[in-house]
This record gives sequence, C-alpha cells and structure tokens, in this order.
Amino acid sequence: MDSSFLPAGADNGSAGGANNGGGAAQQAPPIREQDRLMPIANVIRIMRRVLPAHAKISDDAKETIQECVSEYISFITGEANERCQREQRKTITAEDVLWAMSRLGFDDYVEPLSVYLHRYREFEGEARGVGLAPAPPRGDHHHHHHSVPPSMLNKSRGPGSGAVMLPHHHHHDMHASMYGGAVPPPPHHGFLMPHPQGGHYLPYPYEPTSYGGEHALASGYYGGAAYAPGNNGGSGDGSGGSASHAPPGGSGGGFDHPHTFAYK
Amino acid sequence: MEPSSQPQPAMGVAAGGSQVYPASAYPPAATVAPPAVASAGLQSVQPFPANPAHMSAQHQIVYQQAQQFHQQLQQQQQQQLQQFWVERMTEIEATADFRNHNLPLARIKKIMKADEDVRMISAEAPVVFAKACEIFILELTLRSWMHTEENKRRTLQKNDIAAAITRTDIYDFLVDIVPRDEMKDDGIGLPRPGLPPMGAPADAYPYYYMPQQQVPGPGMVYGAQQGHPVTYLWQDPQEQQEQAPEEQQSLHERD
Repeated sequence: MDSSFLPAGADNGSAGGANNGGGAAQQAPPIREQDRLMPIANVIRIMRRVLPAHAKISDDAKETIQECVSEYISFITGEANERCQREQRKTITAEDVLWAMSRLGFDDYVEPLSVYLHRYREFEGEARGVGLAPAPPRGDHHHHHHSVPPSMLNKSRGPGSGAVMLPHHHHHDMHASMYGGAVPPPPHHGFLMPHPQGGHYLPYPYEPTSYGGEHALASGYYGGAAYAPGNNGGSGDGSGGSASHAPPGGSGGGFDHPHTFAYK
Repeated sequence: MEPSSQPQPAMGVAAGGSQVYPASAYPPAATVAPPAVASAGLQSVQPFPANPAHMSAQHQIVYQQAQQFHQQLQQQQQQQLQQFWVERMTEIEATADFRNHNLPLARIKKIMKADEDVRMISAEAPVVFAKACEIFILELTLRSWMHTEENKRRTLQKNDIAAAITRTDIYDFLVDIVPRDEMKDDGIGLPRPGLPPMGAPADAYPYYYMPQQQVPGPGMVYGAQQGHPVTYLWQDPQEQQEQAPEEQQSLHERD
C-alpha cells in the first residue's frame, strides 16, 4: 500500500484541481459556505442516474442531498479519525475510512469500495510502471514522454509527488490521453489473450478520434492494462475478487467518455 | 448482498420476510374469513399482529387487503435495493477511469479537514470517499424516490428524503438535517383516527404504523375504520389490473 501525505494550503488546492480535471463542476475562490458542500451539479448528475427519466427534483431536495453528503463525510471521518488517534497515527488512510463505514452500519458499502480501492491501486501501480507489461509498449511510452513540452510536464505534476515520481506521473497522463485512441493493435491484444487472469476480461474496441500508429500502439497498451488487472503483479496480488466478474461492455463504454475530453 | 436494516422492528421482520418468508404467530380464527376479491387469493402469512376478535368480517377483509398491498410494496422495494447493490458492484468492476471522479477530491478533503482533530489524510482516502459519496447519493435518492412513488408524485421533494431518513437505520445521523415538520408529514400524524385518508398508498400507513403503537384492541378498530373507505378504491378495475402484472412479475422472479 502506497499512501503519500498531502501538504496543506495552496498545494492542497492545486492537487484538488489536478485530480478533478474536467469532472469538477466549479473551482470558485474558496468561500466557507461553498466549500462546505459538494457541487450541486455533480450531485444532481449522480441523482439522475438512479431516477426515471420523467422524475423531477425540487430545489430543496437538491440542497438537502448536498447537506446529507457533507454530513456523511464528517460522520465517517470523525469515526476514522478516532481510530487513528487511538492507534497514535496521524494520517487517515483508506482502510480507516472503510473500517469506519463498517462500524457505523454501512456494511453494504465496504465490499464494493474494497474492490474499487484494490482496482484503483492496480491502476496506480500500472501508471508508475510497476506492471508486468512487455518491453516494447513501455519503450514507446518513454518516447512519448520525451516528446511532451515542459509546460505539459508542469501541468500534470502533482504537488505531493517528488522528482522521482514526476516521469511516472506523466507516464500515466500519457495513458489517459491515449485512452480515446484507435482500436488496440492485434499483436498487443494477442499477448494479453494467453494470460490466465486476463482471460476474465474481454477487451472491446473503441472507435473515437483516430491517431497515428504510435498513438494507436500506446492506446492499445493502456486498454490492455485497464482490462487485465491480473497482469499487474507488482501492484499486489489478491485480485481474485475482481477477476471473478466480467465487466459489461455498456458500463465500460460509459466510463470512457470523460477521457475523450481530457488532456487534448 | 444483504439489504440495509430498517429502523422499525416490524419493518425489519417484514424486510426479512421478503427474503425467506417466516411464519409469524397468527390466530387461526382469522384465516377462516374468505377473501372477497380475486387478488386476495394469494393468502400470505401476516407479518403484523392482529386481533380478529375485535374486528368484524368486513374489517378483516379490508385489513388483510391493506396488509397484502403493503407486503407487495415492501417486496418490490427490497428487490429494487438488491438490484441496486448488484449494479454498484458491476459498475465498480467495470471501472476503467480512475482519474476523473464524479465528486471533486479537493472539496472532500476540505470537508474532512473541517474537523480540527483531523491531521493528515492519505491520498487514497478522498478517492474512496468520492466513490462512497456517489453510492450514498444514489442509495438515498433511490430510497427517497420510493416514497415519491408511494404518493404517486413525479417530483422528489424534501419530505421524501425525510421519509427515507426515518425509515433507514444507517441514516440516523441525518435526522437533524430535515426539520420535524417534514417528518411529521409522513408518520407522526397518520395513526390518529381523525385524520382523513389522502389516497390508496397513504391509507396503508395506518396499518404500517400500528405495530409501533402496541395497542391491540382499540388500535385495530381505529385502523380498520380508517381503511374502510379504501374498499371501493381497491375494487376499482384499474387497481385490479395494476395488481395482476406485479404479482406475475413477482412469481416470475421467484422462479
């Protein structure tokens, strides 16, 4: 488990901005009342996913959900922090958050979130080049890394990451930008097929804007990583839970969309 | 995935019943009353306590119909919640984008840091919270919408959220967010005998809240009397037609 510490103040805001990307509805100057609640546009978008098309949401209901979410974060955080203090630790970890949820009755949340955290770590590990990917794609990524202008480097850099982390962080961004690329090339796909754990996932083609051959190869690499988490031995085993279920094509397609607009 | 527990003990029993229908203690005399409507042919074990000695035959029929309606409603809602959790797990296992979150991490961190006792937060904690809050919003919205549908409305209102908070144990920490008048609208006033019925689904409430009162004799009589006007609504052909498909779906799902 790799947990880095986040600095406070302006750096914290910068990190937030970098992480949010296009997903953040607003990044207005910090106002106490505004910072106390989740952006209402994000909240409404999530609510609509579970409501029928003809459903309407009153304004006071939207505001009430906003309040409930902040209360939920504070409620769970309070319990997680108590555990940290009891064990004389200073940093609230993801495990502390999950433990607090279980303790406060949100048992149903723990299993889905544990799977999510596990897959997130595999994703992060792959981004840092820890995965067992073949040499040729990695070489290509190094090439693209060098071709990116310095301004992009600075923009993608997170405040918490040191000099050593910088190339890998950017490496990941290249993955992200390539995600909307052409269909993965056959050779790379062929490599993934024999892998035992990879067999649980069926990579499907994406056909948004097409790029050159090099970019296509890069996107192929990213696609393989995304749908073969078992290959990331370096990021820790125990992916049996996620490997036991095959992801549906529709959901995967839905998640791709935001990336298309990122890092253009 | 097990559904979340409900606040009232009676609700808990009913919720469990939708999984493995348990046989509750029920006076045998009550089962003698023949059902007057075809849909009542599905004789199910009554999860709520009944005192047939204090009820006339007509009231017994109305009472049974109200219970049946309520049980079907609960079963549907439990199925919706089970489906909800299956969808969440499927969605997470299909996640390919771990860079763009549906909620801003910076805002989550600020809310976490609002507690002055909180010192440092690992990078992964807000990531987990972003997903957790998304699930929280979805579940709370779904439970609120169930109440909207019960009242035959299409606009989700604050009192729907208040109802969801009242009915769900794990939402107890939210009771201060919704004012009391919003909650009173749902349950506190309904058991009173003088309250006029507001509609078919709302009329189910007197029976719904009866177990909480623990008044076997007079409570039953009042409940039955309140439910009396609903007899004509339930005999309405449209209502019968609406009931039939639900029953078939339920049977199909059980297979």
